[in-house]
Amino acid sequence: MDHKQSGSRHGEGRLPSMAPLANPYVPFQLESPPKYEPRKALVRGTLYPGLDLPFMGMVNQKEQPVTPKTELQTLGFAIQELALYLDTHPEDKEALELYQAYQKMYHKGMMEHNDRCQMKHGMPSQGDRYRWLDDPWPWEYAANKEG
Amino acid sequence: MFAYDKKLQYPVKIARPNPRLASVIISQFGGPDGELAASMRYLSQRYSMPFDDQKGLLTDIGTEELSHLEMVGAIIHQLTRNLKDKDIVGTPLEKYFVDHTVGVYPAAAAGFPWNAASIQVKGDPIADLTEDLAADATTLHSQHFKNSSRFPREFSLFLDHDGRSRYGRLEYLRSLGSGVLGLYTAVSIPCGYPLP
Repeated sequence: MDHKQSGSRHGEGRLPSMAPLANPYVPFQLESPPKYEPRKALVRGTLYPGLDLPFMGMVNQKEQPVTPKTELQTLGFAIQELALYLDTHPEDKEALELYQAYQKMYHKGMMEHNDRCQMKHGMPSQGDRYRWLDDPWPWEYAANKEG
Repeated sequence: MFAYDKKLQYPVKIARPNPRLASVIISQFGGPDGELAASMRYLSQRYSMPFDDQKGLLTDIGTEELSHLEMVGAIIHQLTRNLKDKDIVGTPLEKYFVDHTVGVYPAAAAGFPWNAASIQVKGDPIADLTEDLAADATTLHSQHFKNSSRFPREFSLFLDHDGRSRYGRLEYLRSLGSGVLGLYTAVSIPCGYPLP
């Protein structure tokens, strides 16, 4: 198009008459798309490789070691998600059973872990020392560098 | 991380609604010296606190303040329960009611919404503990109401609590105070004015 003739300035351009301003296209997700295995999905923040896109040129390639604490975090996440699901689907028996099974596992894990490093006041702990004040605290780098 | 226990820290049972009282107590919810301010103050100060015992104490108090916040919310809710427009007209809750009806909105008694400007997090343990001490003192002011028969009995729980934490902090500051210079060199606190 001849810019001088059309009178438009550089970087602006013109639209054909009747053209809408923009046409976004959002592809529908396919039926049964490929999935990550659950542990990888948790670290990547999505179950679907198709949604695991680079952000500002950075590809998420973090892995997470398997420790008692990351196991509890994983289980806690699953329980939280199930609770959110059940909040809107309280009649779903299958989800309820899974929620109850995970709660049992979480409680057992917390009991064992709490014994060693006191994560929660309301859980039984053993030993002759009050461990609650022990460093590191959860927001510190030292508490997170090993997962 | 935080998790919710579906119970109040102490039961709140208010038989008769009272919009006048609600318009005063709302400040304990979202006012400058209210429970929300207290919780945010303590939970935010934890990160730069260099001592493990104070990290633990700030965590526990900051968490407990959230339980207090819920109790004050329950008090406001019950004081305004089933109130209709005609019950509010002519009471001090009238202007609050225009925007929030019987919703529990974090605002001060004077009407301004909750604001982080009423708390301070300096990243200096002595400054922050002194801030906490000042905050504890503001709750003690409400003690004057405590013995009034019109005030909900539930209120006294957090008033007594803040009185106790005040004496704990005074003790702690006194123990730090004896070695202030050593403390500042030992934990390297940023001065906050990076000059060229």
